[in-house]
Amino acid sequence: LSSSLAVTSEQIEHLHRRFKQLSQDQLTIRKENFDSIPDLEFNPIRGKIVHAFFDKRNLRQESDGLADEINFEDFLTIMSYFRPIEMNMDEEQLDRFRKEKLKFLFHMYDSDHDGKITLQEYRNVVEELLSGNPHLEKESARSIADGAMMEAASICVGQMGPDQVYEGITFEDFLKMWQGIDIETKMHVRFLNVDTIAHCY
Amino acid sequence: PGAAAMGTGTPPSPSGTAFEETRLHVFTLDYPHVQIPFEITLWILLASLAKIGFHLYHKLPSIVPESCLLILVGLLLGGIIFGAEEKSPPVMNSDVFFLYLLPPIVLDAGYFMPTRLFFENFGTIFWYAVVGTLWNAIGIGISLYGICQISAFGLTDITLLQNLLFGSLISAVDPVAVLAVFENIHVNEQLYILVFGESLLNDAITVVLYNLFKSFCQMRTIKVIDIFAGIANFFIVGIGGVLIGILLGFVAAFTTRFTHKIRVIEPLFVFLYSYLSYITAEMFHLSGIMAITACAMTMNKYVEENVSQKSYTTIKYFMKMLSSVSETLIFIFMGVSTVGKNHEWNWAFVSFTLLFCLIWRALGVFVLTQIINVFRTIPLTFKDQFIIAYGGLRGAICFSLVFLLPPAVFPRKKLFITAVIVVIFFTVFIQGITIRPLVEFLDVKRSNKKQPAVSEEIYNRFFDHVKTGIEDVCGHWGHNFWRDKFKKFDNKYLRRLLIRENQPKSSIVSLYKKLEIKHAIEMAESGMISKVPSSVSLSDYHEGKIKPLSPTEMENMREILTKNLYQIRHRTMSYNRHSLAADASEKQAKEILIRRRHSLRESLRKTNSLSRERPVLA
Repeated sequence: LSSSLAVTSEQIEHLHRRFKQLSQDQLTIRKENFDSIPDLEFNPIRGKIVHAFFDKRNLRQESDGLADEINFEDFLTIMSYFRPIEMNMDEEQLDRFRKEKLKFLFHMYDSDHDGKITLQEYRNVVEELLSGNPHLEKESARSIADGAMMEAASICVGQMGPDQVYEGITFEDFLKMWQGIDIETKMHVRFLNVDTIAHCY
Repeated sequence: PGAAAMGTGTPPSPSGTAFEETRLHVFTLDYPHVQIPFEITLWILLASLAKIGFHLYHKLPSIVPESCLLILVGLLLGGIIFGAEEKSPPVMNSDVFFLYLLPPIVLDAGYFMPTRLFFENFGTIFWYAVVGTLWNAIGIGISLYGICQISAFGLTDITLLQNLLFGSLISAVDPVAVLAVFENIHVNEQLYILVFGESLLNDAITVVLYNLFKSFCQMRTIKVIDIFAGIANFFIVGIGGVLIGILLGFVAAFTTRFTHKIRVIEPLFVFLYSYLSYITAEMFHLSGIMAITACAMTMNKYVEENVSQKSYTTIKYFMKMLSSVSETLIFIFMGVSTVGKNHEWNWAFVSFTLLFCLIWRALGVFVLTQIINVFRTIPLTFKDQFIIAYGGLRGAICFSLVFLLPPAVFPRKKLFITAVIVVIFFTVFIQGITIRPLVEFLDVKRSNKKQPAVSEEIYNRFFDHVKTGIEDVCGHWGHNFWRDKFKKFDNKYLRRLLIRENQPKSSIVSLYKKLEIKHAIEMAESGMISKVPSSVSLSDYHEGKIKPLSPTEMENMREILTKNLYQIRHRTMSYNRHSLAADASEKQAKEILIRRRHSLRESLRKTNSLSRERPVLA
């Protein structure tokens, strides 16, 4: 397990402890178990995050759709998307690493699992993001999403004819847009120090 | 005729004395009357003209950093004055430097510091600043003492304490020099913030060590209690400085809450409060640099929202102008002060000083990085370490500190001055000139300046939330956790108190609004406004509502637009201190506009769940 996911055994121990906490000593976690994390309540995209844990595409299973419950191995699989970059990675590994992380994010946007982020899905994302802001109307969120989609179109497709329909952002387009941002260094979470916090929950 | 008429005017007769009657002067020259302001103006004018001169040959600033050229100009000037008057030219007064020339530069740097990146790397920066400077100071001091013991060099009269003092003042990395050199080479933000942050924070340690060793040199016996007092002093100096800065930053933010009737002097408050924090800290012998940095960083967020757009622009430009002038003056003065009779050359001392500075810096960075890499998620590579070590430039701070040494206690003061000058010249010239080709040779990651885009902002926010969420699931209190907590506290208490019209701010919304305004202005300018429906009425299409815009609604919209013009800020990460980032290109805005019209048409087709009535335009 450790070598396939490139997580150290110490980290596995920490995560195992956390898993046991969340699952209340059961072998699997269901969606309801995530409700026991108080701080997650305030997160505007809470739904999407929880969803991501059960998304079969992230769990590297061949099928599609949502799993009902996940065991520790699945939990680790999800967490491995957030492991930090290692010093001795070569170009190809780095590229794969980056693609994996971006795929994880892509799946969070693409809620109907059709491989494309359509305008409606994008609107959904922006609405959720701005849902923490009570003064903002839905219309504004919608126009923002439209505007952002525009920018995406202009980056990915360039000049469009007047009657061309922009279907949605595919994974390749998604990669193009995140090109400038070095996700490999930013998308990581330290799996240490779980001990000190464990007793707070 | 005029002169004659003047000449016959009756002068008042002096009572009883026999000196000549003075005719009324047509034309008088009274230099002493205006001497001081005249000379100051001439210096500043000269500095600015020199800057123009450099940029005339456009390739020059990219090869040689401006600081070098300015020092050369200073040297030239110093040489002229020396030759003409046969005495040493005016040495840069340390008071002038510390009280007038240094604060604007630090203020400018602190105000535009990327706070998020700074706090993410705070541990590393602090580690380098404190432990690194200590390491350098003590290392250089002790090794120089070892050299001094060798009687062949004629240096045996320099005591250990004097060497330690010298080590402490020469080990400080200088923010002015770092800024001057790094701004042209555009390394990635992480590296920049490490070197620059270190140069700012090490002021606390430098102040403490300098004063500590200076007093030790003057005391006859040193007890253990004094050493503990020194350590306690460090904490007081550092933390005290920061507290003063934060306190005054909040006061400034609070003041600007009420300034909406007197917009014209709003910028003044920003400058006054920051300068006040600096000199208050200096009054208590705390770290002025840390105070002014803390003040600027605290003030920045809240002032931006309270202050009008014009005031904000004024603040930005004035700050950059002041810091630019200060920096130029500093380097020219350094050049001028070098020429003169206050030197004493000693091959051994000078060369070993230089050698030890380089060796200890390199060693220090290497060793410290090995330790700190254990705690960092992204370890610093060897390339990073090299740039950090190489970027440890010395500058005007150690120059001024060495001039402040009391000559009674330091009979070899001139020797110290010479050594410091050699080190500064070496770092500024040699390291400053070669760092750019080295950065290219080593292929260090550079910063990529991009245009702000709404989608990117959305991605970044989305990403932050994902990270925070995952951290919550893991139960790990990462950086995101603390930042989140601070944000909540900020929103609940601070913003309500310090900001006048508190609207919960979303970076996405502000950026979007900004782009929208740009579109609107574009549309109005190109006369399209009658033909293209505004976004408001288009979204009415989506809802299936028809709302002809009544005059009151138009008025409201116009009011909203103008009000938003005051609220929107373009958040720039201004690393280049001499030019401000240009606005996003017009072409992109136009493209976006055209696209949106298409996309909205498309989305109309796709979302066929709407029941659309034929829109009736009033």
